[in-house]
Amino acid sequence: MTFPFTAIVGQEELKTALILNVIDPGIGGLLVTGEKGTAKSTAVRALAELLPELETVRECRFQCDPRGNLCTDCREREAAAPLPRDRNKMRVVELPLGITEDRLVGTLDIEHALRHGEKRFEAGLLGDANRNFLYVDEVNLLEDHIIDLLLDSAAMGVNTVEREGISFCHPARFILVGTMNPEEGDLRPQLLDRFGLCVQVAGLHDRERRMDILRRKAAFDDDPAGFGEEWRQQQEELAGRIEQARKRLPAVPLDDGVLERIVSVTAALRLDGHRADIVIMKAARALAAFRELAAIGNADIRDAALLALLHRRKRLPFEEMGNEQDKLLGVLEEALPCA
Amino acid sequence: MRLSDFVGQEEAKLGLLLNAVDPRCGGLLMVGGRGCGKSTLARLYRGIMPGKSPFIELPLNATEDSLLGGIDLERTLADGRRALQPGILSRAHDGTVFVDDINLLSPELTALLMEPQDRGVELIEREGLSGRRECRFSVIATMNPEEGGLSPHLADRFGLCAIMEVLDGTEERLAVLHAVLTNNGLSDEPTDPACLDVAKARKLLASVCFSPEALDRIAETAERSAAQGHRAELFHYHASRACAALEGMIRVEARHVERTAGLAYAHRRLLPGEEEPPPPPNDQQREDGRGDDREARQGRQDSVDGDSPDESGKQGERDPSGSTKESSDREEVQPTGQPFAVRNIALPRDRAKRKATGRRTTTRTVGRGGRYAKSLLRSADRDVAVDATLRACAPFQQERGRTERLIIERDDLRFKQRERKTGHLVLFVVDGSGSMGAKQRMTAVKGAAQSLLLDCYRKRDKVAMIVFRKDRAELVLPPTGSVELAAKRLALLPVGGKTPLTAGLLEAHRLVKRTLRNRPDTRILVILLTDGRGNHSISGKPALDEGRRMARMLGEEARCDFIVVDTEQKGSLFRTDLARNLAEMLHAQYFTFETLQAEQLFDLART
Repeated sequence: MTFPFTAIVGQEELKTALILNVIDPGIGGLLVTGEKGTAKSTAVRALAELLPELETVRECRFQCDPRGNLCTDCREREAAAPLPRDRNKMRVVELPLGITEDRLVGTLDIEHALRHGEKRFEAGLLGDANRNFLYVDEVNLLEDHIIDLLLDSAAMGVNTVEREGISFCHPARFILVGTMNPEEGDLRPQLLDRFGLCVQVAGLHDRERRMDILRRKAAFDDDPAGFGEEWRQQQEELAGRIEQARKRLPAVPLDDGVLERIVSVTAALRLDGHRADIVIMKAARALAAFRELAAIGNADIRDAALLALLHRRKRLPFEEMGNEQDKLLGVLEEALPCA
Repeated sequence: MRLSDFVGQEEAKLGLLLNAVDPRCGGLLMVGGRGCGKSTLARLYRGIMPGKSPFIELPLNATEDSLLGGIDLERTLADGRRALQPGILSRAHDGTVFVDDINLLSPELTALLMEPQDRGVELIEREGLSGRRECRFSVIATMNPEEGGLSPHLADRFGLCAIMEVLDGTEERLAVLHAVLTNNGLSDEPTDPACLDVAKARKLLASVCFSPEALDRIAETAERSAAQGHRAELFHYHASRACAALEGMIRVEARHVERTAGLAYAHRRLLPGEEEPPPPPNDQQREDGRGDDREARQGRQDSVDGDSPDESGKQGERDPSGSTKESSDREEVQPTGQPFAVRNIALPRDRAKRKATGRRTTTRTVGRGGRYAKSLLRSADRDVAVDATLRACAPFQQERGRTERLIIERDDLRFKQRERKTGHLVLFVVDGSGSMGAKQRMTAVKGAAQSLLLDCYRKRDKVAMIVFRKDRAELVLPPTGSVELAAKRLALLPVGGKTPLTAGLLEAHRLVKRTLRNRPDTRILVILLTDGRGNHSISGKPALDEGRRMARMLGEEARCDFIVVDTEQKGSLFRTDLARNLAEMLHAQYFTFETLQAEQLFDLART
């Protein structure tokens, strides 16, 4: 039993950022930084219960999208007959710190090789993570060679394995979610940039809310099933809203007026590259869809920018985040007057 | 011996009992000096657990494999079916893992050990094996803070923490001796009465509820403490409940909450330096200053008596700017100066015969961590490269009369050679004495240190920082991967007081030894920022002599490189060049502020 997502007290920004990634997986994931013991991991794990179903190729190990990129197996199957379809729930796949390289990218199926003397590809975690969430707790403690592999396939959206005499290729588009405590070490800039959004969480200091946390956690520890039942209605409602927003998403227009306003923000901040623009655009659209709006408003762009820019602003490694935040708020105020 | 017979250390005993009653208390970290009984207590924990539950001691030399498990090669080859050799964590389910001296365990292993704590499930993704199994266990650990710290982040993973007292009362000592005597004679010990208490409390636990005041008190304690996040109060909640159950009560009262507060908060207080920045100099600090003044005068006396041959100790005290008194009296925090690009510092080729290439170094590793680089015919440990082995045996299958299973012979076996980037540790040893305060020199020093830190950030080195001032040296930042944290600490460093150079070097020596004992393949770069004018002796010998001796000793450490950045103002009339002298003792590269800055053209030409 996992703690229900809707029962987490506060941390609205974190919850919204996760939900936006479900609505549009193209946003590119989320980095959660901040104090210890602030429900970072709890929230990510709890998300699993709210995830929608995906259309997949039946019996494909990689949940291939029948209308998208296919794995080597599916391509062979497609050549013979039309691919049968199925529906599978999106998942949160967890990447443990002690993972070895072969289990990440996949490798020769040893058992099969020993028994039948044949070579066969055995999928790794990148395969499991295709079209799913890939969650790394304490991502800043991950070993460098594992990060390199993650970055490779995140950039390509494909995992190609050419080793040990096997040759295999499958789509590996995953929503990367990492949590980290910045005091434990920094994250490589290349990896930092890979995360679409970033939120910084802190503990709640208000007495009443602390009591809420205590009560709920205690109730959950004592009777997880009963607690889950208590929150079921809220859970179902939120899952329904997410599903609706996913359907509504393509209908939310991205007109020139919206794009101009986004660019005015990133230009004023003199950001390098275009990833920030794209992420803000997608996140603002997902926000509008989630808020059941017909068009993207200034408030959506503003909120999306706050989520997308925390880790992208140009600053020296040691510059305080606080000053920058003020500057950002100033720019947003000017570019996006909220009526 | 039984837990009930153990004399003293009530806090730690309570911590153990609470965990035995309810594992949701989150384990116990016992912090104390040598001989306070922490390891003994931890082992006695076994005796108070009702029923059979695993109790596993994690040795400090454990490898990733022994912790997480790996492929069981014999069975895999024999049966043709993949078999997992379970690791320590899998075997500890529903039980206890005991780590003696957890601060000496490598941080990577500590992280792996604590990882399943939140999740309650162990994920195995290793060497072609993939699995998921329930894994709930308590960690009972000890540490002696004299031998190095534990990162606050990892400490926070422990539900409870007991700071152990030093047993020094004669009566207490006698009682301990008595207890040892009476208990050693017993061959067959009766069950620990504490074990019965625990069993009773466990039965009661489910029906224990909170009085409103008790719940309120938990939230109030959390509010008052400056602890980060919400782990403290959640563990405090479970501990209070277990405490009530242990007393046979079905209602948690405020006193249970109070009784367990120390255990829940001992390790979650802010570390020095993380507190709010020190207030600007005020009256209270002036008072300190006065104390220092006396000290400083004493120091001056010392250095005269201390017959430093060239009288430089004396000069060291007399600041070139003429503001002698002021500089050593006042304690102040100067801001960090503008950082600059640091010239490319080429480290000398590794002095201990290790493959090294200056910047970040790749080293062959012992054990099974790191990247599988290639396969070998022979290897000391039996880390078999299955892929290569299969390829090796393939051509002979027909000849060997294969029917269904593969036939693998000893000669077919290939082994893995692994590589891992060697850790680099850059240790800053910063002079924070009064002589650094004059003319905002500390600002310049901080600027230089900041520039060097930026360089570490780019090269992803670990950093640590020691400051020496007044009468001692202090490790203000234990080795960390967070350069950002180092910069914060740097900004908060005060200046003022005498220059205990020897103490600074000694502390550096200790840290170097400790690091190398723990992780022998670490490369250490010690950067010493000082004017070299040591004037506070720790042994009673003349400060300068003592400092030189210490420097020579430190300089003999072959696995270390040294850089001295001379902070003396070179234009001044009273230049002593003592830091240059120090650099010679250490076989260090020597820089001044000026020479440390990048020579743009030169560097550009090289890159």
